[in-house]
Amino acid sequence: MEQRKILLREDEIPRQWYNILADINLNPPLGPDGKPVRPEMLAPVFPMNLIEQEVSTQRWIDIPEEVLGVLNIWRPSPLVRALSLEKALGTPARIYYKNESVSPPGSHKPNTAVPQAYYNKVFGIKRITTETGAGQWGSALAFACSQYGIECKVFMVRISFDQKPYRKSMMATWGANCVASPSSETRAGRAALEKDPNTPGSLGIAISEAIEAAVTDESGQTRYALGSVLNHVLMHQTIIGLEAKKQMEKIGEYPDIIIGCAGGGSNFAGLALPFVYDKIHGKQVAIYPVEPAACPTMTKAPFVYDHGDTAKYTPLLAMHSLGHAFVPPPIHAGGLRYHGMAPIVSQLIDEGIMEPKAVRQEQVFKAGVLAARSEGIIPAPETNHALATVVDEALKAKQEGKEKVILFNWSGHGLIDMAAYDNYFAGKIKDVELAEAEIEKAEAECAGYPKPTHLKHK
Amino acid sequence: MTRPNIDHLERRCPRLGSVVSFGYCMISGEDNLPCWKIFDCWWETFDVDGYLKQNLPNPAYNQLKSMAETPRNKIGSIIEIINQAKNQSKD
Repeated sequence: MEQRKILLREDEIPRQWYNILADINLNPPLGPDGKPVRPEMLAPVFPMNLIEQEVSTQRWIDIPEEVLGVLNIWRPSPLVRALSLEKALGTPARIYYKNESVSPPGSHKPNTAVPQAYYNKVFGIKRITTETGAGQWGSALAFACSQYGIECKVFMVRISFDQKPYRKSMMATWGANCVASPSSETRAGRAALEKDPNTPGSLGIAISEAIEAAVTDESGQTRYALGSVLNHVLMHQTIIGLEAKKQMEKIGEYPDIIIGCAGGGSNFAGLALPFVYDKIHGKQVAIYPVEPAACPTMTKAPFVYDHGDTAKYTPLLAMHSLGHAFVPPPIHAGGLRYHGMAPIVSQLIDEGIMEPKAVRQEQVFKAGVLAARSEGIIPAPETNHALATVVDEALKAKQEGKEKVILFNWSGHGLIDMAAYDNYFAGKIKDVELAEAEIEKAEAECAGYPKPTHLKHK
Repeated sequence: MTRPNIDHLERRCPRLGSVVSFGYCMISGEDNLPCWKIFDCWWETFDVDGYLKQNLPNPAYNQLKSMAETPRNKIGSIIEIINQAKNQSKD
């Protein structure tokens, strides 16, 4: 019997997170005045210990024992050799994945929810608010808060609240108070309900409710938590890649290619950043963030500073953007649209350390179904994006007759996301050709703004 | 305003992580506008740009275009909402 799982003992779990800000230079987010956003501007919603992590440039940050003591409920997560997928593809490539679906809420999200809850607790916070769409992040935070005895309030977008009863059941089981947004508990919610009492809600309203609930608590004991994009969130996720490195060392392997889905950036960065450290220090490894072809920001858009709103009140952030005046021609380039990306990931792409890949919807679900039928786990739809590129690379290795080592992040299971699979099986998901038009115009749209420096790592 | 009934069309919403109808996308944006990602999400299915141009009042279409072409970065959005919440609580 060939070995499938490579496991670490609990006492082999990494004791420090890797903070890539020690090794790369990042264009800071700019405020409306063109000056960098100051940490204290975030103090009404985040505890200062997390804000310190957000701006820290210390390379290794100790993981508190109290955090490890919760993470070890499911960590170290298994590194799995995808023997059955390899066989199904007939590839000489050796494919490995970190199985993040084994966490209590079923995804990588609690890797940051747990430390965020812990640091809030240490800071004296009694209650954390957040928003959630379909409930993946809300469940992760509910679980984390239950571990530290913190009250958790989740504003879940009404349409998902009604569609996904099991997510709210999960949150309730962990003791969180999950309400449909808009709710009557905040001004933002009441205003939305006044306009339309039957509104299905939106993520924008839910975010407003969660932040308002934190900011307006006069006791000062409520804060807000965010599950993606921010630097400290990505850093907490590096435990995935740090474990993977140890596990691969155990079997004498090192990846030629690292692949992850880069929607909000956190699961991909969690696996990839520890290997980016190696690459910066001379290792040969290809690193592929994958995004949907429908909005291939990283693959198409230039690296510029741009505003977060039309009124230009919000900070200028260095990111991959197609610019404010970009108009896609009908059908063809509709997907080549403006889409913010985690600044760390954008920076590493700009430096050429990561090479983004775009995949199409049909290809994505085809790969997900193949993985489910070979490896057994039904992947989260996000994971399917990574899987589509894994399949591409494995078939390329087959064509070239090369024994490449591929490592990817199985970021979660899809057991509560089956409607997307139903649409695929019903033939509702189709690919179309993606035109290359209009890209040249993009940089001109941001010509009036300061240009981010094309920085190099330290 | 009447418009062709295509509200039943469905796809997975990348923001919510669940399946939504086109009808939801038409009403889930800010300021009574469609969601700012509507162009991204539906261009593969039909000429959503042409559809919106035809079925939204001109100012609304232009505002939506402008929002769609300008990303709402997280830090920027958060600071904006903090300020709004603080100001409203003073009222």
